[in-house]
Amino acid sequence: MNTPHSDARLPHSDARPPHSDARPPHSDARPPHSDARPPRWAESILRVLLNPHDRETVSGDLLEEYRDTIVPTRGRAADLWYIRQVAWYLLRASWMWGTLMGAALVLRYLLDTLVPAADYRMRATVLSWTILAACMLTGFVTAWRTRSMRAGVLASTTAATIAAIVSIVGAAMMLAVWHDAVTLEEWRRSGGLGEAFIDVPLELIALGITLGIPGAALGKGVTRRVTLSG
Amino acid sequence: MECAYNVGTMAEVLGTFEQAVLLEVLRLRDEAYGRAILKAVQERLERELAAGAVHATLERLEGKGLLASRLGPGTDIRAGRARRFYRLQPAGVRALNDARRTFNNIWRGVKWPVMARESL
Repeated sequence: MNTPHSDARLPHSDARPPHSDARPPHSDARPPHSDARPPRWAESILRVLLNPHDRETVSGDLLEEYRDTIVPTRGRAADLWYIRQVAWYLLRASWMWGTLMGAALVLRYLLDTLVPAADYRMRATVLSWTILAACMLTGFVTAWRTRSMRAGVLASTTAATIAAIVSIVGAAMMLAVWHDAVTLEEWRRSGGLGEAFIDVPLELIALGITLGIPGAALGKGVTRRVTLSG
Repeated sequence: MECAYNVGTMAEVLGTFEQAVLLEVLRLRDEAYGRAILKAVQERLERELAAGAVHATLERLEGKGLLASRLGPGTDIRAGRARRFYRLQPAGVRALNDARRTFNNIWRGVKWPVMARESL
């Protein structure tokens, strides 16, 4: 494939375009990495996460940087670079909600440890609704912004995964500080270690997927309605 | 886009990274599109940046009315995907001038580089 770039880049020519330093000095007329492709799955995720206004331009910028700079300088590690860029967009859509849910869980563990209650139903109810709302909102906001249901579900699932990691780390840190017999008994009464380290994280991820779907559907529905009425 | 930006509060709003992005748009002139801005800001700040950080900043600055954008043709190396070219708006120029004035005011009377003894 002959490209506009290749026409301008004659072998041994002094008139080299900007950013051409990374290329081999004796490259032929064709840019050596012009056909290199980042992982297709990563590219698909990126395009889903971008709003329609930026979908072509931003994915084009990343592809150009990948082919023109990253592949020539990093070789096989170029795919990792691309995946990191995509992860940035995914985390941008989900980290805040994920941290919020994780913080709510750690707060609940903290309360259960320091202020034991006779009945944990009230705390469980508040926590459950917080997580339900956060998962749905993540799906809603992301789908509304990107006009993509898949993006909403993906962001909601990622947020729930972040929350699961935060809750596991938080619970482990608390146990490292408070691990006397009385505290462990309180943990056992409020659900036990297995619940904190296995059940809750797994349930969170399942909730992220299942609640992300209606949230995302709602977000996309609102976008469509606004577009139609506009 | 109509400028609805409050120039009076510019110095508080415009961060260092935003200034770096705006200045590269200014320097690149007609070649200021996403990837070129990313490379220029990376070189200027001497560190690798997430492309998303630059794109998000460009989007935010455009939303504030400091930048305007237009679509340009794609190239083969980017699989024909369009490029978004940015240019400074009058509000962006005012924002940069205001930020520079604030910066100068903050540093007035302080010798640079600051020595440890002076900071005590």
